[in-house]
Amino acid sequence: MSADVTTARLAAPSTTFSPLPLLRRAINANRSLLTSVGSLGFGFLLWEIAADLIVRDKLFLVAPSAVVVRIAQLLGTGELQHHIVASGLEFVIGFVIAAFVGVGVGLLMGTCKPARIALTPWVAAIYSTPLIALSPLLILWFGIGITSKVVVVFAVSVFPVLVNTQTGIEGADERLLEMARAFGANTRQTFTKVLLPAAVPFIVAGLRLGVGRGLVGVVAAELFGAREGLGFLITAASQVFDMGALFGAVVILALAGVLSTAAIRALEQRIAPWRGA
Amino acid sequence: MAIAQLIPGSAAAPMTTPKVEASHLTKWFTNPQAGHDIEVLRDVSVSVAPGEFLSIVGPSGCGKTTLLRIFAGLIPVSSGAVLYDGAPVSGPSSKMGFVFQSDNLLPWRRIHDNVAFGPELRGERRDSMEPRIQSLLRLVGLSGFERYYPHQLSGGMRQRVNLARALAIQPDVLLMDEPFAALDAQTREIMQDELLRIWQETGNTVIFITHQIDEAIFLADRIMVLGARPGRIREVIPVDLPRPRSLEMKRHPEFTRLADHVWSSIEQEVRESIRGEQEVVASAHQRALAHLDED
Repeated sequence: MSADVTTARLAAPSTTFSPLPLLRRAINANRSLLTSVGSLGFGFLLWEIAADLIVRDKLFLVAPSAVVVRIAQLLGTGELQHHIVASGLEFVIGFVIAAFVGVGVGLLMGTCKPARIALTPWVAAIYSTPLIALSPLLILWFGIGITSKVVVVFAVSVFPVLVNTQTGIEGADERLLEMARAFGANTRQTFTKVLLPAAVPFIVAGLRLGVGRGLVGVVAAELFGAREGLGFLITAASQVFDMGALFGAVVILALAGVLSTAAIRALEQRIAPWRGA
Repeated sequence: MAIAQLIPGSAAAPMTTPKVEASHLTKWFTNPQAGHDIEVLRDVSVSVAPGEFLSIVGPSGCGKTTLLRIFAGLIPVSSGAVLYDGAPVSGPSSKMGFVFQSDNLLPWRRIHDNVAFGPELRGERRDSMEPRIQSLLRLVGLSGFERYYPHQLSGGMRQRVNLARALAIQPDVLLMDEPFAALDAQTREIMQDELLRIWQETGNTVIFITHQIDEAIFLADRIMVLGARPGRIREVIPVDLPRPRSLEMKRHPEFTRLADHVWSSIEQEVRESIRGEQEVVASAHQRALAHLDED
């Protein structure tokens, strides 16, 4: 906008104060990116100041610079990679199963009335239960290893996927369904060519919710009992007052959330390119 | 151009089997809340000759769209019969193309694939449908837009895709449900012109619903006027205007006379229907106010 003003008023330069229109345009083009990066940077600066100058107690609040140093140390010994791989594996296995089961059961509930009637009370009851609270029980059942974590990730992330998929199927435009019928679509064609594509944006939204819950789930499950993983790292670090490592693990988790959300957005762009209205 | 198209449909009594025929068609819907049936269409009988262009006009609530859905085989009749080429209609037919009021394009399909929807459902092979789809896109003036998504097109363009999609199944009959209602006046006139051109090129039978009297006259060989609640035929008016028709004809004295005729035929119905709707709105309004008072 202001770039246009600049070019329009070249005859009266006194009204503008833009000696570098090119730089201005570059800033305008990347304004949202610059804003978010700037916001993060400002937050870290405040954190740094608070830790170094105000609190001045590494047990209470460790500075971001110290966290970065500690992350580098842990990467150097290979310890951090080990925990990332352990948690990542638990998360990916649990989430992929949840995605397939959630989409599958959601499609079934969206298209088959008896299935919907039979399963709705179960879904409603379990969806609103804080399943993470059952982690100790699941560890008792499935052991301290990877299985119990996979089960927790699955349990917390399957429901958003399932509920969204069902909503997407049920929310398909009646007029499009009638159109398909007028053109002679059979049940299978109506499903593959109308219902399923109509549900894709909802399914993707469900996956995005599931990712967030799954990441929380994997760490929470590890807090309750594990021998490896980022949750274990957090527990171990807090027991020896290693605040740098504790915050480091949290930073890695935040990063994982950002990356997986971006990955799902990219997936949406690929499979639902018509959404860019 | 076929001679039959030069002669207005009703002037020459159809000697052949009608393309579409309704005899004593009656339709009622069960209303579970009221506990009784609502009669939507009563004793509608009409024959549409092959290649004929029939317009249906009537006030809102006269069952126009229901009648068209019955012709399309989307809903069954309650009594009476609908015949296509002399045989009863029992479900959607591959010989009838439906053009919807809202374009109903699939938003995730590109323009080309929306037009290909009907042939694709029938399992037609790509290479056999491709030349037809290309020529249809040319016919509706959308060559070069194959790879666009519907949301990237204007309303008028989307309606043309809607029409091309119906034509892609090579129908004998085009059923059109107020297809130009949502368009602005200029686009609508252009689309009317285009539709007549396409109709003359394909030789289809067309049944065209509209609430615009001038649109009905401009397009049709005959106009069927429906009355409301329940919908029944008030009058069938032949349109003795020469073809091909041009937009200037809308200022022709005969055109004006026909418009007066059609209008006088439905005026009372329209007024009653408006009053009915006003009452519905007013009572809904009152209920809403009552709710507010309770809160």
